[in-house]
Amino acid sequence: MDDIDAMFSDMLQEMDLLTQSLGAEAESAPLPKPPSIPDPQEMNFSIGFTDLNASLHDLEDNDLDALMADLVADISATEEKFSTERAPVAPIPSQPQSNFSLLASTDTPRPATSSNSIAAPPPPPASKPSKEELEEQMKADKIKLALEKLKEAKVKKLVVKVEIMDGSSKTLMVDERQTVRDVMDNLFEKTHCDCNVDWCVCETNPDLQTERGFEDHENLVEPLSTWTRDTENKVIFQERKDKYEVFRNPQIFYLWKKDKKSLKDMKDKDKEQLLEENFCGASVIVPDLEGVLYLKEDGKKSWKQRYFLLRASGLYYSPKGKTKASRDLVCLVQFDNVNVYYCKEYRMKYKAPTDHCFILKHPQIQKESQYIKFLCCDDEWTMTLWVTGIRIAKYGKQLYDNYKSAVRKAAGSATWANRTIQASSTASTPSPTPKAKTANGHAPQPTVETKGPGNQTSFPPPPPSMENLPPPPPDPMFPPPPPAPSSTTKVNKFPPPPQKPQSSFPPPPMDDLPPPPPPPEDAELPPDFLPPPPPSLTSCGGEALPPPPPPDPFASLPPPPSAPQNFASAGGAPPPPPPPPPPPPPAPAHKPNESVRKVAPPPPKRTTPQLTGPSGGDLMSELMTAMQKKRSHQ
Amino acid sequence: MTSHGISIQLRMAVWDLSVSVEELGPEAPPLKISVTSDLHIGGVILKVVEKSRENKKDWSDHALWWEQKQQWLLKPSWTLDKCGIHADARLCLTPQHKPLRLVMPSGIVLRMKVCFSSSVFRTVMGICKLLNIRRPEELSLLWPVEEKKKKKDKDFGEEVYDITCAPLPSSTIPKLANGMPAFFAETPETEAVYKMLAVSQPAPAPETIAKLYRTINITEKAHINSRWLDSSRSLLQQGVKEFDKLLLRFKYYTFHDIMPQADVVRLTQLYEQARWAILLEEIECTEEEMMVFAALQYHIGKVSLTEQFVASCPAMEDLDSALQCLEVKMEGESSADDMLETMTAPELHDYLKIFRPKRLTLKGYKQYWFTFKDTTISYYKSKEESSKEPIQQMNLKGCEVAPDVSVAGQKFCIRLLIPGPEGMNEVYLRCEQEQQYSRWMAACRLASKGKTLADSSFSSEVQSIQSFLAMQKTTPSNNTAQTDESINTHSLVSPRYQKKYKPKQLTPRILEAYQNVAQLSLTDAIQKFLQIWQALPDFGLSYIVVRFKGCRKDEVLGIANNRLIRIDLSVGDVVKTWRYNTMRQWNVNWDIKQVAIEFDGNVNIAFSCVTADCKIVHEYIGGYIFMSTRSREQSDTLNEELFHKLTGGHEAL
Repeated sequence: MDDIDAMFSDMLQEMDLLTQSLGAEAESAPLPKPPSIPDPQEMNFSIGFTDLNASLHDLEDNDLDALMADLVADISATEEKFSTERAPVAPIPSQPQSNFSLLASTDTPRPATSSNSIAAPPPPPASKPSKEELEEQMKADKIKLALEKLKEAKVKKLVVKVEIMDGSSKTLMVDERQTVRDVMDNLFEKTHCDCNVDWCVCETNPDLQTERGFEDHENLVEPLSTWTRDTENKVIFQERKDKYEVFRNPQIFYLWKKDKKSLKDMKDKDKEQLLEENFCGASVIVPDLEGVLYLKEDGKKSWKQRYFLLRASGLYYSPKGKTKASRDLVCLVQFDNVNVYYCKEYRMKYKAPTDHCFILKHPQIQKESQYIKFLCCDDEWTMTLWVTGIRIAKYGKQLYDNYKSAVRKAAGSATWANRTIQASSTASTPSPTPKAKTANGHAPQPTVETKGPGNQTSFPPPPPSMENLPPPPPDPMFPPPPPAPSSTTKVNKFPPPPQKPQSSFPPPPMDDLPPPPPPPEDAELPPDFLPPPPPSLTSCGGEALPPPPPPDPFASLPPPPSAPQNFASAGGAPPPPPPPPPPPPPAPAHKPNESVRKVAPPPPKRTTPQLTGPSGGDLMSELMTAMQKKRSHQ
Repeated sequence: MTSHGISIQLRMAVWDLSVSVEELGPEAPPLKISVTSDLHIGGVILKVVEKSRENKKDWSDHALWWEQKQQWLLKPSWTLDKCGIHADARLCLTPQHKPLRLVMPSGIVLRMKVCFSSSVFRTVMGICKLLNIRRPEELSLLWPVEEKKKKKDKDFGEEVYDITCAPLPSSTIPKLANGMPAFFAETPETEAVYKMLAVSQPAPAPETIAKLYRTINITEKAHINSRWLDSSRSLLQQGVKEFDKLLLRFKYYTFHDIMPQADVVRLTQLYEQARWAILLEEIECTEEEMMVFAALQYHIGKVSLTEQFVASCPAMEDLDSALQCLEVKMEGESSADDMLETMTAPELHDYLKIFRPKRLTLKGYKQYWFTFKDTTISYYKSKEESSKEPIQQMNLKGCEVAPDVSVAGQKFCIRLLIPGPEGMNEVYLRCEQEQQYSRWMAACRLASKGKTLADSSFSSEVQSIQSFLAMQKTTPSNNTAQTDESINTHSLVSPRYQKKYKPKQLTPRILEAYQNVAQLSLTDAIQKFLQIWQALPDFGLSYIVVRFKGCRKDEVLGIANNRLIRIDLSVGDVVKTWRYNTMRQWNVNWDIKQVAIEFDGNVNIAFSCVTADCKIVHEYIGGYIFMSTRSREQSDTLNEELFHKLTGGHEAL
C-alpha cells in the first residue's frame, strides 16, 4: 500500500506541474505557439521552417486553424472522456494537459493511468460466463491493449511544413506512428488534388542537392527527426512518375535488355504475369541490371567507370581484369542501412560526367562525406532504372503492396462521388454511414492521426476479418453496454464535447447494420468548432475516415468489435446517457469540402491516453492477475 | 506368310513359354509352362505360381517383365497374342516393388521399396507420399555421378537407413501420427529416420565438402542434367536394378504453395539441396551472400538442435509472448511503483575503453565510465562523475555494429559506425572479457535497430553472441562436424572461401551477417535461406549444351521456370532470352533429335542436344509449363495426365 500511496502522490505532483503548464499554454494557445515549444530532449521541432519564429509566420491561417483544431480536439476529447468516467477526480485536469503538450512528446499520461488502475481497479467483468478460451483471448487482447496504451504515452509528434508544387504549402502535425501513406491521405484532404498513385512526399537536401521520395510505408517522423535543427531540407508533396512506374510497365525494368519498341505495346496480361513472377514468388526478383556507371572514388574528385551489377544482396561491380562471375564481384554497398537519392546538377557541383547522378547514403548523413556513394549514369532513363532497381532490392514486396493499396485508394476516391449519391438515394440505413465518413474524411489532420494507430497494426484487438464491408461501423469506441452491437451505437461526434458521453443513443441493436447516424451534423457545426474526438479505441473508425470508403480490404482495419466490448464491460461502461440531441437530419450529404474541413474529427490517437485512464485500470489489474496466474502455474 | 497368319493358324496350338521366377534365384532354370496364344497374362501368372510350388507366398505384387522388349506386361486381361508374345519370349515374374538406395538431398541414404513398374513420375509420387513430401511433381530421380575413385573409399561404407518394411505406398493412405506418417511412428528406429528427414543435418566437415567439391564450369553443370531419368518410363525400363543408388532431387525450381506446418520434410530437404548447391558452388554467389548463407546455416544448425517441430496454437503464443514481454519488463519488481520505473529501460554501466580512429590523437584506447541507457551510450571521466554532464553521448539508433574480436588474443572490441549529419563516426569500444563484451555487444545491436535493453530479445542476443564466441575457441585444426555449440566455420562455406580465409578471419565475417538472422525461428531461417537462394541471379537455371541449327559451335541452353536463355559457352554471357509466355509451340523431332520452338513474332529456333537426350529438354520445358498451370485454389489433385501430355515422348502420342 505504501507503494501505491507513494505513487499516487507522485502522480499528483506531476499533475500539478501539468496543470501549471496547462495554464501557461492556455494563454499561448490562441497563438499557434505549440509548435514552438520544443522539448529539447525529444527533438520535437518543426520541420520545414528555418527557425521557429519564422515557422509561425509561415503558417497559413488555415494551417493554424487546423493545428489548433487538433489541439482543442484533444482537450475536449479528454474532457469528455473523463466526465463520462467515474475515474478518480484528481487526474481529470491533468489529463487534457498531457494531451495538450503534444508537441513536446507526451509522457505524462502514463502515471495517471497506473494510478487509476490501482486506485480504482474495476474488477473485470466476469458477468458473462464464457469459455475459458474466450477468456484467455480476452485477456490476451487486454494485455495487448494495455501494452499498446503504454506505448501510446510516448508518442512523438512533429509539425511539418509541406511544400506543394504550386508554391503553396501546408502545415500539418505528423505523429510518430503515421506512415507516409497516412500523411499523404491527410494531404489529399487538404489539397483536394486527385489522389492518383503518383503523388509522393519527397525530401530535399540543398546541401547535397538530393531528392528522394519517401515510400508509402515509411515512417515520416523518424527520418525528419534526424535532420539537424538548422537544416534547410524540405518536405515536398508532388507527383513523381517514377514512383510506381515499375508496376505500370514492369517490362521496361525487367526486360530492359529487349528493344524498346517491342516493350511498348506489351499486353496487360503479360505485364501482370511479369509482376506475378517477380513480386509474388517466395522472394522478390530484382531486375537484372548491369552496365557501366561512373563511380566517384571515395574522397576523391575523379569519377571512374566501372561495370556494375545489381543483385538482391547489394550493388556490386566487377574489378578490372576480372570476369562478371559472382565470386569475383566486389560489393560497393548493401542496402540495409542506406537509401537511394536522386541528385541535381552534379556536373557543376562534383564535376560529374553527366547530371544524371544518384547517391546512396545513410539517411542521417546530411552533408558531403566519404560514407556517401556517388554514382553517375549516362542518361536519365538509366538512372531511373538503377534507382528503381535499388528500391526494389531494398524494399522488396513492400513496394508492391504500397502500390496496390495506393491504387485502391485512388480508385476509391475516384468512385467516391458516385457512391455518395447512390447512398443518399437509397435511404436505407447503411447509406448515411458513408456520408459520415465523408465528413470525417475531410477533416484535415485528425483523420490521419486516427489512421496512424490503425495502420500500425499495433492496435491491440485484431481486426475481425470483415474485409469488404465498405462502411466500417463508425467509431464504436466506447461502446455502450456490451450486449448492444457496438456498431449500432452512434458514438462519436457530439457537438458539445465535454458532457456528452460517448455512447449517445443506444439504438436497438440492429444486426450489423452500420449506424444510421447522419454525419452531416458535423457540417452544421460552426466551422471552427471541434466535435469531440471519437474515442480512439477503435482505430478503425478513424481509418475508414479519410478518403471515403474505398474499402481497401487489407489496409484499413475494420473496427474490432470484440475488443471494444470487452473494454466497455471492463470499464463498467456507464449506462447509455440520455440520448443526445438527435442528430440533425441528414443534411446535404456532401458539403463542399471547405466547410467540412475544419470540422476536424478529432484525432483518435491523442485520445488514447484517456482511454488508458479508465480502462487502463482494469487492464492493468487484469494483467497482473493474469501474470500471477501464470507464475503460479509454473 | 506373316507371323500374324501363323498365330492365327496355330491358334489353339499349345506351346511352351519360358518364365523365370525371380524368387527361385538367377541360377534356377526358367519354368516352362504350356500355354495357348489366347491365354491372358493373368492366367500365365497363375500357372507360373502353381508350378513354382510356392503357393503360400504373397504374389500380389508380382508382374511379368518381358526382357527382350524391356517392357512390363501389366494388363492381366490381355492375351499373349495381343501382347505379341511368342515362344521365343523370355518372361520374368518379378515383384513390381523393389528396394532401392535413395539418396536424399540431405545426403541421407534410405533403403526403401519403390515401384519399378510404373512411370518414374508415379514412382516419385509414391516415394514422396511415404516420406510426407507434398508436391511430388517438383521432384524427380537421377543417376548419381559415377564415383571415379575406387581406392579406399569403400571402406567407409556409408550408413543406410532401412525403411523397406514400409507399407507399399499405393496400398495405404498415410495417416499422420505425432505429426509424421503413421508408419514412421511405429518403431523408434523409423521415428528416428523421420526425424533425420525432417531436421536439417549438422554442418558437414570441411573435408567432406572439399571431397565432393569440384570446380565446375557450365558444361559440367550441363552434364548433371543428362542424368535425369525419363518421367514417363519405369525404372526397370531405364535399366535401374534392385539396390541401385538413385538421387531424389527437386528438379523444377518452382516451389508451389509451401506451408511450413505441413511441409516439414519438404522444406528441410529443399533447404539441404540449396545448401549443398551453395557449398559446392553449383550455383554461384558473391562473398557477401556466402557469408549470409553461412550465418543462416550456422543458425539453422544451432536451432535444429534445440527446437523441434512443435505445433501450438497461435493465440496461445500471442498471449505467451505478451506475458513474457511484460515479465521481462517487470522482472524482479515487487511494487507497482518499481514496476513503473522499469518501464524505462534498464541500464548497463562499466569502465570500458574507447578509441576513435578519426581523431588524430595518440592511437590508443582511453578508459572512461560508460553507461548504456535506452539506445544511447554516454561516457564520463569516472564513475564518480557520472552524475554530471557526460563527456559525450552517442545515440546508436541506425548505427552499424561490427565485432572486432579475437578470443585467442583476448581482444573484445565493438566497432561502431554511428551516422551523423556529417557522415559516419567510427568508434571502437574495448571490453575486458567475454561476458562484458556479450552484454554490451547485444545492447549495441539492439540499439542499432532502435530497441532498448528492455527488449525481450536482449538475453537471447547475449546468448547467441556468447555461443558464437565459443566457436572461436574450438581449434580449427580438428575438422569435425558440427556438434553441440562448437563448429568450424569452414564447414559453412564453399572450399573457395575455405582456402581464402582462415577460420579466424571467417568467424567475424559470419558473425557480422549472423546478427541479422540470430533472432529467426527455425522455419523462418530456413525460409530466409531459400529466399536468398531464390533471389540469386542464376537461380533455377538448368543447363544443357546444345547446338543451334545453323551454328557451328556448341552453346548452352539455360532452362528456367519462365524462360529459356541462350548462353555463350566460352564467355558465359547471356546472348538471348525467350520467355515461355511468348512461346507458341515446341516440337521434338525424335528421329534427328532436334527441338524446334516457335515464339511470337515469327521467331523460330531449333537446336539439337549435345549433353542430354532431347527428351530431357522436352520434359523440362513441358514440365515448367505444367508447373505454371497449377493454381493456388486447386486442391491437391495432381493432373498426371496433363503432365504426361506435356512431357511425354513420341511413344505417348
